Amino acid sequence: MRSPHPLRARPIVIGVAEACLRCVVCCAVETHFCHVQFEEGFDERYTYVYHCLSAPDPASNPGIWLCTACHKCEEACPYETSPLRFIEAAKAEAYKRGLAPRLLTGIIAQITSTGYLFPITPSTMRRRAELGLKPLTTEAAEELRQIALKTGLAEPRGEP
Amino acid sequence: MRRYAFFPGCFIRVRLPHLEALSRRILGELGVKLVDVENFTCCPEAVSLSVDKMSWRVMAARNLSLAEELGLDILTLCNGCLYTLRTVNQELKGDEELRGRVNDALSIIDREFRGLIEVRHFAEILIENLEKLKAHVERPLEGLRIACHTGCHILSPPEIMGFDDPYDPVILDELVEALGAEAVDYDLKTLCCGWTLSTYGSREASERLLASKLNSMRRGGATAIAVICPQCFHQFDVGQASAARRLGVEYRLPVFYYLELLALAMGFSLDEVGYRYHRVRNREVERALEVAG
Ligand code: SF4
Ligand code: SF4
Repeated sequence: MRSPHPLRARPIVIGVAEACLRCVVCCAVETHFCHVQFEEGFDERYTYVYHCLSAPDPASNPGIWLCTACHKCEEACPYETSPLRFIEAAKAEAYKRGLAPRLLTGIIAQITSTGYLFPITPSTMRRRAELGLKPLTTEAAEELRQIALKTGLAEPRGEP
Repeated sequence: MRRYAFFPGCFIRVRLPHLEALSRRILGELGVKLVDVENFTCCPEAVSLSVDKMSWRVMAARNLSLAEELGLDILTLCNGCLYTLRTVNQELKGDEELRGRVNDALSIIDREFRGLIEVRHFAEILIENLEKLKAHVERPLEGLRIACHTGCHILSPPEIMGFDDPYDPVILDELVEALGAEAVDYDLKTLCCGWTLSTYGSREASERLLASKLNSMRRGGATAIAVICPQCFHQFDVGQASAARRLGVEYRLPVFYYLELLALAMGFSLDEVGYRYHRVRNREVERALEVAG
């Protein structure tokens, strides 16, 4: 028998995957539910949470990147399960293995190189000037770069 | 009210600076003193940095330490910034071992998190000072029927955010009614606006979601939307315009950041609150506001 994927050996992941009873409350009960259900391919029988929890290698499932950490699944679940914690563990593992999408690595590079989540464009600067607001500066990003080096966020990622 | 270290957040500073300008003015008129902190950076955003929670915490702790140096609580205009800064602040205050690891990383830039301040959202300050806010209403927004969208990250997890009931939020409704408008109920009130889904997922899914949400608001009788988060504002404005174009349906539900509504009730004109920067406009709503004036 194949040994389970290393991610599946982590207590959070085992706990969530085993506690989930596939009752679909977190994804299919109108009014308080996971909004990723609006993506193509999910319905009340095949839910987003089921899709994430049942993947053989959760970290290589591109679906994990759709989760926006809204916590609704935790709040809706009658069994106190947290699919969010499962998905975040899978994302962290994916990042370590170099499986994160370029959009995400680009966002992280944007934050650590400028200090802002969004690129500062000439139109931003023009509009700020029109409104009498101070121009935006990026000097503080140097400290974020140093933090990223210290924590390892800036290290190249990929399969060994 | 009192002095705060002002944390407008990247989205407002870069994409919606008219909301920064208005917030400075309106909060100032209410007696809130906003102190600029030049070295604040992105909070940082929780969804992208969830891949490395330690880096997320250290970068957030850096921002918190800057406000601690000034001895000021942080006041933010954004649900996402509140989520990051309040969560990290609470985690580090309550976990000495984690705080030690974060401070070890922060030492590289000669900073330290000490756990001396709180992080506040402007809506919390306003609801705590509701009577004072009402005293500033010169032009009640009668005739406006507003669907309130509180947003996800100020509500959840409730044991940390502590703002309102995540299953049935009512505080924004109270704030809207304090201005003389009517807050309408609708069935998809706690459904996400879909902004983050449009970033990390598909635009089509985000538009389907938006269509459901806007239809629910219309069924509730809304003529406009109120929000307290810049991402939600952007989604209901630019996202609504693009969903309407692609789906061939006109919802015509203009969205207002709460401080814009407050400014209108204080007697500001639509032009003064920056309505010219909005994509979704509605002549009937404009007329109702003119009549209210
Ligand atoms: S936290 Fe993620 S999985 Fe849970 S409801 Fe929100 S988007 Fe869905
Ligand atoms: S996470 Fe909870 S609500 Fe969702 S399917 Fe599993 S048991 Fe049901």
